[in-house]
Amino acid sequence: MSDLVLVVAVAAITFGSRLAFLIRPRPVPQGALGRFLDVFPLALFVAIAATGMVAPDGEPAVTPALAAALGGVIGAVVFRRNLWGVLAVGMVFFYVTRALTA
Amino acid sequence: MLDDSSFRQGIRDSVLIILAVAGFGVAYGVLAVRAGFPPWLAVFSSVIIVSGAAQFAMIGLLSSGPVAVLLAATGLGLRHIPMSASLSNLIGLRPLGTRLRLAFILVDETFGLTVRAADAGVEDLVAYKTAADLMLYSGWVVGTTIGAWFGGSIDPEAVGIGVLFPLLFLGLAAPMIKSRKDLLVAGAAVVASIVATAVLPTAWQITVAAVAASMAGVFVGE
Repeated sequence: MSDLVLVVAVAAITFGSRLAFLIRPRPVPQGALGRFLDVFPLALFVAIAATGMVAPDGEPAVTPALAAALGGVIGAVVFRRNLWGVLAVGMVFFYVTRALTA
Repeated sequence: MLDDSSFRQGIRDSVLIILAVAGFGVAYGVLAVRAGFPPWLAVFSSVIIVSGAAQFAMIGLLSSGPVAVLLAATGLGLRHIPMSASLSNLIGLRPLGTRLRLAFILVDETFGLTVRAADAGVEDLVAYKTAADLMLYSGWVVGTTIGAWFGGSIDPEAVGIGVLFPLLFLGLAAPMIKSRKDLLVAGAAVVASIVATAVLPTAWQITVAAVAASMAGVFVGE
């Protein structure tokens, strides 16, 4: 398979998965599916954050990224869960830890 | 007709994202060319795929063959299905063209911003997401172009771009934790992510962890 065909195939798979519920309007899911969809974004965002910070290289380790996670949680508490507070304190923890461990 | 104030808010809220996305785009462009893509194909892939996770997986698995790449893309794509359902609920009935356009750039970052905007009561979520999508798409394609053609001397990791993305998602998740049940789901997602990174291939870790934590949320009362 040529690289160009591979790129087009990956694009088709990605767009297809994104279209799943958007291709035609459907009723708002109720019951277990509705509850699942209600909490899924939170679970997804935390999973992305956790895999990127707790295990940035594929397995759990103490790294500047983990320090950034700790800083982000502290930023969330101090700045009342404000996005910029999380980012600012998290990045400060990251840079300080990286400087100290370099 | 898109609501102007919602559109402008989408632009404002995604300023930080465009910086981070452009940085990742540069990294992707550099890595894609190093993996053997000609620069035009690196840029073309960003134009038609628009998925950092799928594209980095594609580059990383290129030497393992097309089956591995397609499996990874499928695993990563699974997480779009619940996102697609959530977005469909948020925007309600819309013309097919609008839904196709919103689906084309249904990415974690602008989906996260749109969910947050819905919580904050933004009037026109389609206008808001369209603006955020345009910002993200521009940053991703321009970043890839820079990385593919001029990336030899650029090191995005030196400025900590790698940690900015997960931190962004921590920041997006924080305001969503409003009840004990939300806290439990977040805790379950952390535990599931750690377990998933230990036992699963990279392409499946986030999807499996997010679905497992969501299942925990389904069976727990408020």
